[in-house]
Amino acid sequence: MIAFNGFFIAGAIICAVAFLVAVIATAIRRYPDDWALIGAAATEVFLIVYGIAAAIRQGGGNSVAGDPLEFWGYFITALIMPPIAFFWAISEKSRWSNAVLAASAAVTFVMLFRMEQIWQ
Amino acid sequence: MSDKPRNSRIVQAAEAKSAENGPKPSRTTGLGRVIISIYGILALAATVRGVYQILSKFDEAPTAYILSVISGLIYVVATISLASPKRGAWMVSLWAVSIELIGVLVVGTLSLTHPEVFAHPSVWSGFGKGYGYIPLVLPIVGLWWLYRNRNERHA
Repeated sequence: MIAFNGFFIAGAIICAVAFLVAVIATAIRRYPDDWALIGAAATEVFLIVYGIAAAIRQGGGNSVAGDPLEFWGYFITALIMPPIAFFWAISEKSRWSNAVLAASAAVTFVMLFRMEQIWQ
Repeated sequence: MSDKPRNSRIVQAAEAKSAENGPKPSRTTGLGRVIISIYGILALAATVRGVYQILSKFDEAPTAYILSVISGLIYVVATISLASPKRGAWMVSLWAVSIELIGVLVVGTLSLTHPEVFAHPSVWSGFGKGYGYIPLVLPIVGLWWLYRNRNERHA
């Protein structure tokens, strides 16, 4: 449980930083900021690591408290979102590209929070 | 009112962009892309959730779960039509966004007056409370955005 809470804290920090960077970029940039894009990539990398850890946990018999189908449904939805946001952001050069990345980071956090709730 | 000049940076940026890349409806650029993304997220969330509810516990609340999927599909239609430069997409968007607004108001009200029918959550129950009231706010934003870009109505 402690290890997984560590995951949650790490994920929350990554999402928060990615969100803040993207919000700042929305204010000061008129094109998709590199750091905002890196933020989206970081949330995606985190989700992959989180998914592998969750799969190992489930395989190890320490299963989800809630419904596994619901957990993995949330996971897959969360996983496909940052890449779509990423490509949607770079397909147009405007400040709003950064706002798209901010929205993606915020929603990733909400989904991570829900996944933790289902797990415990 | 329609003759009012637009000094919006978004519109200017969109116009500059369409000038260099050929025509592209301003509905699908700039701030529109943020609105479309939020629609996309909601479409994904509502549809996946609705499908999950139907697969796992359809018998518990068929009405609420069918509604979940239908609302999800309407968000999908809205997302695609808002992003589409095709002829007629503006009108499809107007229909989809209007149905969402009516849906969230009707289902939101019914979930308070007839909680037994809508005991199980859908995007629209409690006026979208479970989704931070985004389902209530988003159609209003969507209608405003379509109104701003009403010159694309017959485009």
